[in-house]
Amino acid sequence: MADLAELKGMIETALPGADVEVIDEGGGDHLRAVVTAPQFEGLRRLDQHRLVRNAVRERFEDGSIHALSIKTSVPG
Amino acid sequence: MADPELKQKVEELIAEHPVLLFMKGVPEQPMCGFSMRAVGVLEQLGVEYGAIDVLPALQPLREVTAEISDWQTFPQLYVNGELVGGSDIMEEMLASGELAGMLDVEQPAEPESPEASRIVPGGPQQSPPMRLE
Repeated sequence: MADLAELKGMIETALPGADVEVIDEGGGDHLRAVVTAPQFEGLRRLDQHRLVRNAVRERFEDGSIHALSIKTSVPG
Repeated sequence: MADPELKQKVEELIAEHPVLLFMKGVPEQPMCGFSMRAVGVLEQLGVEYGAIDVLPALQPLREVTAEISDWQTFPQLYVNGELVGGSDIMEEMLASGELAGMLDVEQPAEPESPEASRIVPGGPQQSPPMRLE
């Protein structure tokens, strides 16, 4: 089971200044991250998602997360 | 380290198919919600696409795509040799018109939300689902 607060922290650490929400969509391993970060400016979606995924890579690798829906946006 | 033969095979498939979806299960029977959504997006666009069922070799394929595209989850859509993304990126790009533009097809009149989209049997032509040996 993934720890939502930990995941939020991992993303916030990787993306200082980001607004991060991590929600459990059911079962503990189907999660949704909604992230607004200035670091996304100018990046295509793929690369924005990669930044988020890399922030929580350990939890993918240890199997805590099986699926992560990601919604990214740029502030303002 | 990804299996070199498998990696080569995957690279060949990506190069051969203008639109290629790596998914869990097959288009007629996706085995996960995200894969089902990915198929739904492509069906709405009415494009021909190749589909690879990753389930028979899930971990080896994760290793291969990690090396090729720095992406380890499925589904994954490749268009003209490049990773577009997973189902959430596909849905956003469907809604915005970007995906129709990229695939050179007409934007569907009312792109359906994930809840509304269904797999329609006998839908657009697609290559038979491929299994990697």
